[in-house]
Amino acid sequence: MSVIFYKEPKLEKPEMLVAWPGIGNVGIIAIDTLRTALKAGEFGEIEPWDFFHPRSVTIENGELKELEFPNNKFYFKKTEQKDLLFFIGEEQPTEGGGAYAQGKKAWDMANMVLDVAIKFGCQRVYTSGAAVAPIHHTLESRVWVVPNREELLNEVKGYENAVLMSEIEGRGGQGSITGLNGLLLGVAKKRGLAGICVMGEVPVYLQGLALPYPKASKAVLKVLTKHLGITIDMGAIEDLTQRTERGIEELYQQLPPDVKKELDRLKYVKFAKPTEPGPITEEDQKRIMENIDELFKKGKRDDERPV
Amino acid sequence: MKDLFEIYKQPKLQNPSLILSWSEDIGQLGPKVIDFLNKKLGGEKFADIEPSDFFAMGGVAIKNDLVHFPECEFYACENNNLVLFRSDAPANEWHRFLNLVLEIAENCCRVKEIYTIGGMASLIAHTNPRRIWTVVNQPEIKGTLARYGLYNEMNYRTPAGGRPTLSSYLLWIAKRRNISGVNLWQEIPFYLAQTADPNACKTMIAFLGKKLDFPIDLKELNQQIEKQEGTIDRFRLENPEIDECLSKLERTEELTQEENEKLAKEINDLLSKER
Repeated sequence: MSVIFYKEPKLEKPEMLVAWPGIGNVGIIAIDTLRTALKAGEFGEIEPWDFFHPRSVTIENGELKELEFPNNKFYFKKTEQKDLLFFIGEEQPTEGGGAYAQGKKAWDMANMVLDVAIKFGCQRVYTSGAAVAPIHHTLESRVWVVPNREELLNEVKGYENAVLMSEIEGRGGQGSITGLNGLLLGVAKKRGLAGICVMGEVPVYLQGLALPYPKASKAVLKVLTKHLGITIDMGAIEDLTQRTERGIEELYQQLPPDVKKELDRLKYVKFAKPTEPGPITEEDQKRIMENIDELFKKGKRDDERPV
Repeated sequence: MKDLFEIYKQPKLQNPSLILSWSEDIGQLGPKVIDFLNKKLGGEKFADIEPSDFFAMGGVAIKNDLVHFPECEFYACENNNLVLFRSDAPANEWHRFLNLVLEIAENCCRVKEIYTIGGMASLIAHTNPRRIWTVVNQPEIKGTLARYGLYNEMNYRTPAGGRPTLSSYLLWIAKRRNISGVNLWQEIPFYLAQTADPNACKTMIAFLGKKLDFPIDLKELNQQIEKQEGTIDRFRLENPEIDECLSKLERTEELTQEENEKLAKEINDLLSKER
């Protein structure tokens, strides 16, 4: 269980951006888009075999050529404004077989990523993920921000299009961040490193689908680039957002008219206070989710890949 | 077991007492008492327990807008010969966790006795005195507590379907390890259970100060008590129903279930806004 370094870049108080897959792949799309746009250079990786099963084998002429594991790579970029480190994990290590990290392996992975952050004098880490919210897919996603230190609260309050948990309807400042995108910030707190989780809103009815939701990633990316003082070409993520939205809209049109009518009410959500009646009751939501699950189960059958 | 905890420095202590609380407590009594003692007595962190074996590592909780990660930390107040332990309640492996707490306390500090602090929701008014109930793990300790006006005749059996508290479990393990210990259960008016009760903190700290012989300035707590009582007094003037409920409690009369719920909700809302 170790980190392999291909080179040791000299960095000045870098900030680290970290992402793993999750709902809508919101975080990983946002951070990988930034990494790609900045052409950040690869400089190391975490050896995968203690954390993951291999995911493919290549055999040629009866000879095993390669066994492929999920990548867990570190990248760096020196910009005029800030030095940056990136960590992109293609999978979350789990001990229970779920999609999200848990158990000792998750703890070890979080510590290994932070070991690298600390080794290079990192001042702060960012993680990113999805915030499931009662919004319609045609609306802009807001960004939920959760720091791991009280002294960061004032700073994050100033982020554009961003909200604290206490500003979110009915949350009262409480909640949870599932998987490594959350755990890493907890471990960072324990190790004395500042951190912020930046989460883009995903419509509640899309949370269970194996679809990316780049609209939320774009919202996250806007917050991160603005805060880091970095300008990148947003064309690629904009295109991806539009393509995905067209796909979602096609599926949406296949919903039964009464379900669609009810979901359409989310277009007019004005983020009511908890004391006011919500746009959709829990009972409505349950029925809608059943319809959507059913619709996408059909879709999943068509999409199944050979083993 | 060494990878389960980390010792940052060896504190200079001579058979100290250990005061311990869990982060989630009725009226936030335990953590507030520990935090107050730490601040006033200059506690320094010297050890902690690694959380990965005892807590689910499946993400983090968010509390009051911030990432919350399990903490299991030991502090030393060297000038007062005290060890403080403040911890989230472990999610699993209670027996191993509690033994580890005592192992660190014994091996690193030679702790001679332990005191656990916990709040207990009670049908009393905030203007009534808060009693402290004690549970000891060795009968002879009762004598040493006799002159502090504590209540030591508790009779209780865990109801069917329930389970003993972590503090009871710790006291039992301490007994098996021959460490004397006391659970201190402090009454908290039920309608302050979700917020905070500075008056209960003051009562508990005043007792600990006397028992363990450390002087402590309680002015800050007096100010908090005055502020909270002023807020509730003003609210009573504006709300005759709440005033009537509180008056009944002050006269030790019983409230209906509906009155209990209304009082708890209204006072909780009021004090949450104040915070």
